[in-house]
Amino acid sequence: MTLEHRALLYKGTDEFLSFTVPYLEAGLEEDQAVVAVVREPHLSALRDILAGHGAAIRYFDSAEFYRHPVHTLRDYQTIVATSLPRTVCALAEPVWDGWDERQRLEWIRYESLINVVFAGSGARALCPYDSGELSPHVLDVALRTHPLLLSDGRNDVNDEYIDPATFGAGCDRARRTDRPDAAEYVTIEGADLHGLRAFVAERALTHGLARQPAQNLVTAVNEVAANALQHGIPPMGLWTWRDGDDLVCEIGDNGFWQPSPLTGFIPPDSALQRGFGLWTVRLLVDLMELRAGWDGTFVRLRVRRRPVSY
Amino acid sequence: METLWSVRRPVRDLRPGDHAWLAYANEEEQRHVAGAFVRDGLLAREKVVYLAGSVKDAVPGVPSDVPAGLLTFLPIGGPFDPRAAAGAVAGEIEQADRRGLRAIRIAADLTSALRSPDGLERTLVFERHLERTVPPSTHVTAVCQVDRRRCRRAELEALCGSHTVLATPDPEFEDAVLKIVRTFHPAGLSLSGELDASRHAVLDEALAAALSRDGTREIHLDLAGLGFIDLGAINILADIAVRRAGPGRLVLDRMSPQLHAVLETVGWTMLPGCAVSIPAVLNSNPAQPDSPGGSPA
Repeated sequence: MTLEHRALLYKGTDEFLSFTVPYLEAGLEEDQAVVAVVREPHLSALRDILAGHGAAIRYFDSAEFYRHPVHTLRDYQTIVATSLPRTVCALAEPVWDGWDERQRLEWIRYESLINVVFAGSGARALCPYDSGELSPHVLDVALRTHPLLLSDGRNDVNDEYIDPATFGAGCDRARRTDRPDAAEYVTIEGADLHGLRAFVAERALTHGLARQPAQNLVTAVNEVAANALQHGIPPMGLWTWRDGDDLVCEIGDNGFWQPSPLTGFIPPDSALQRGFGLWTVRLLVDLMELRAGWDGTFVRLRVRRRPVSY
Repeated sequence: METLWSVRRPVRDLRPGDHAWLAYANEEEQRHVAGAFVRDGLLAREKVVYLAGSVKDAVPGVPSDVPAGLLTFLPIGGPFDPRAAAGAVAGEIEQADRRGLRAIRIAADLTSALRSPDGLERTLVFERHLERTVPPSTHVTAVCQVDRRRCRRAELEALCGSHTVLATPDPEFEDAVLKIVRTFHPAGLSLSGELDASRHAVLDEALAAALSRDGTREIHLDLAGLGFIDLGAINILADIAVRRAGPGRLVLDRMSPQLHAVLETVGWTMLPGCAVSIPAVLNSNPAQPDSPGGSPA
């Protein structure tokens, strides 16, 4: 069952409702599991209009649902899995304001990944983009990440859509700043990573991370280091430095690996599947960047200090 | 009164002068802990004196070829006569001393004594005799046991208070970073320390042993003392859980909030077949891994 992933370009509340209400009702009619993940005030407007359907539609506020792209993929994956044997009909409106450039890029990549992750799910997703409010850049990339398009009342195959692997390769090309000279370095040797974990935990707490994000970071670093020990080529080690509110940990080894642009982005079905490790690392930190070339393989993990961790 | 044990010692580490206590949850635990005490003693050619009801073959841990005269079974008759029993023990110690045996182990299953008329009082008198004999000694070690299922809480507490050391099972594995100990109620393993790739093989082995022992029962993993688990170990748990999905589930107990949150982040759908007990998360005030008197099941 193929995925229908469609961008909706709309202007104003009336137009928004005129497309989304019939869309959700159609999902109910076809006995799909219907979820509406929408920003306010449109979320409340939909609840009011569709109140007659009771609890048949599940509502989520985008502001809560779209906080970390890989978590959002996991949450949609959970909805798809727990709705079986029914397929999912989702109204899925991402949040585009409040991100820096790097974060926005990850959300764009997320929209592209939807096409791979849910390819065989039989789900339908309609992603509203407010064409009066969003930047031309966001509207432009929406066209590259959605195979279908609903705009000006016209329902079309979108010719500007780009295959997610190709799209992801483009995302990775432009990123990644250099390591500062002041970065601390610890070599990784021997199978026992106890000392490395203690070092990372100490740096995390010094940086002001709460216990939970610190434990998550330690788990992520441990996983990447264990991978390096298993598959990489010495020398291998960890660099760590502060970048404003971010604590950055980079694990590098001398091995040559050619990961796909989708590596670690495709949720496994269970911990038993290949790819579980890197996928989980992406969940445990705010951002994981992967760079592999002739000079070695480098995995950079970034965690932001927050007033309240989530 | 709940006594907080200042000394918890695996049976292999009990020393002369230790007057230790074991309130076993079931026969398996008794066989495992008291059995190790008896076996280690006999293999080291120490004198072993075993007190229990009247069934001689109930002595756990006896190796096949015990040299004559090393093991003495003292039946606990009814009604229990604590002075006579203490006298018999003292006589065995004297005799062993005369024979030049370098160490003496006393293992007493006092369940039947406790269940006879005036059982608690009589048993406490026996314990006072033992307390005068064992702790000052440089070559006598004692382990007093009762079947916790057949005792009232007040009895357990009174008896437990007359011992200074708690006998615990020998760890299945222990190094500076990770410790794995069998648990009996519920059946499973208790993991403490840190679990990473360098110890996956150890975890695999301990789990395999637990599985072969426990057939189709649930296996519980007590994670109260585990400060770190890596993703590979989570994968191993998922693998076991999937193979056992059904009545004999793998149940994760008493995780730290941090560990639980890591698994939440990963998502429980990633761990099909793994069950989590309720409450699975330790509160912020973690208790002793086992409370001494414990609550009778």
